[in-house]
Amino acid sequence: MSVKHGLLALLAEEPMGVYRLRKEFEARTGGSWPVNIGQVYSTMQRLERDGLVAKASQQDEDVELYEPTESGRAEAAAWWRTPVARGEVGRDELVIKLALAVSAVGVDVRDIVQAQRSETMRAMRDFTRLKSQVPAPGEPISSPELAWSLVLDHHTFTAEAEVRWLDHIEASVARAVLTQSRTETTDRDEAEVPR
Amino acid sequence: MSDPVLLTLEGVRRVHGSGAREVVALDGVDLTVRLGELVAVMGPSGSGKSTLLNVAGGLDTPTSGTVTIAGDVLSEMDAKGRAALRRKRIGYVFQDFNLIPALTAAENVSLPRELDGVPARRARTEAKAALAEVGLEKQARRFPDELSGGQQQRVAIARALVGPRRLVLADEPTGALDSVTGEAVMRVLRARVDAGAAGLLVTHEPRFAAWADRTVFLRDGTVVDSTGTDEPEALLADSSTGT
Ligand SMILES: Nc1ncnc2c1ncn2[C@@H]1O[C@H](COP(=O)(O)OP(=O)(O)O)[C@@H](O)[C@H]1O
Ligand SMILES: [Mg+2]
Repeated sequence: MSVKHGLLALLAEEPMGVYRLRKEFEARTGGSWPVNIGQVYSTMQRLERDGLVAKASQQDEDVELYEPTESGRAEAAAWWRTPVARGEVGRDELVIKLALAVSAVGVDVRDIVQAQRSETMRAMRDFTRLKSQVPAPGEPISSPELAWSLVLDHHTFTAEAEVRWLDHIEASVARAVLTQSRTETTDRDEAEVPR
Repeated sequence: MSDPVLLTLEGVRRVHGSGAREVVALDGVDLTVRLGELVAVMGPSGSGKSTLLNVAGGLDTPTSGTVTIAGDVLSEMDAKGRAALRRKRIGYVFQDFNLIPALTAAENVSLPRELDGVPARRARTEAKAALAEVGLEKQARRFPDELSGGQQQRVAIARALVGPRRLVLADEPTGALDSVTGEAVMRVLRARVDAGAAGLLVTHEPRFAAWADRTVFLRDGTVVDSTGTDEPEALLADSSTGT
């Protein structure tokens, strides 16, 4: 899910071929999310099949460039706007999304951070509501209730750590003096190009 | 949803200083807190949280915009009237408890009522009731230094909501407490609000903000987002009227 949307978001910035896409993706997620070229290629095929990308109107002479269709652009914009749901497996999507957002064109990291923070606070309120139904610390409590209460604490503390991380991102981005905003990669760096 | 509104801020702007040193601490803040509602305020340091709380409680005056407390517009009152309104309607809870060391728990709670001209006996009865609400009836005659931090903060909550007071403004009330004690204080605050009060709570701890119904996020003096239990209803209302 996240790789697909991440690639789509990158294409929304400018048409690219698969090699450059892979380089951009890896560089801009801090190398934390390796993808192989076959994966990028098959993702493009699926996106093309779903009508979200098309072969770019302006083509490079050696490489096939892709660009998002109108609905592809809408899909990418919706991805930026929508916070990653807490219940979703693979919270790595959030990590990918924020890493990409730092350098993405036309995306305000602060908005993404805020949408996510709201979502996480919402989840925390749910845990807290459940927590308020078990006896308070110091009051008589059964062992299953205590266990349940500690599980809820786990969820709460994990979510809180995420909010703190988001606060940290916001503060870091606000203070950062960026030297080079984008990675310098081109498709021509690659010798072998599938056609 | 139709509970009475206890606090309204409309287009509140607060500028500190002037000229090159001008700092816009609040810039067009709208906020409503109803009876039974606890609203948390979060935001980075310097985003205007304390200013918001001070303006909401009449301790600070907005440069423009209006603050309405239980139907009274603060800017339409003179200083004396505002002070009386504050004493009667609003309670404050601070990080460092702010109890008077020479007074017992009960005396700390009854003091604002006595200052308000309520006969001593009645003030004491109200104080006892307020202490019972926070689970401290047995500690009524203890002095602050004979109480734990959590107990002192519960006394402060009792004092904030004694007698006719219904609006509690809390600035980092759990800031000096460990996490289990902080939770106990939040439970008490939540219970008091549920029993018939309204609260505005500034905290930088998401775990404690999660006890509120809503969180208002401030950034550079403006509300950037507000999340809460009434949102899904609002969305449903929108979609049902839209079709
Ligand atoms: N009395 C004052 N004089 C000048 N500037 C002030 C004063 N009080 C607050 N400020 C400024 O207003 C902004 C908001 O402050 P504050 O409300 O204390 O924020 P927070 O509580 O979120 O940290 C900050 O930039 C702060 O420096
Ligand atoms: Mg402050």
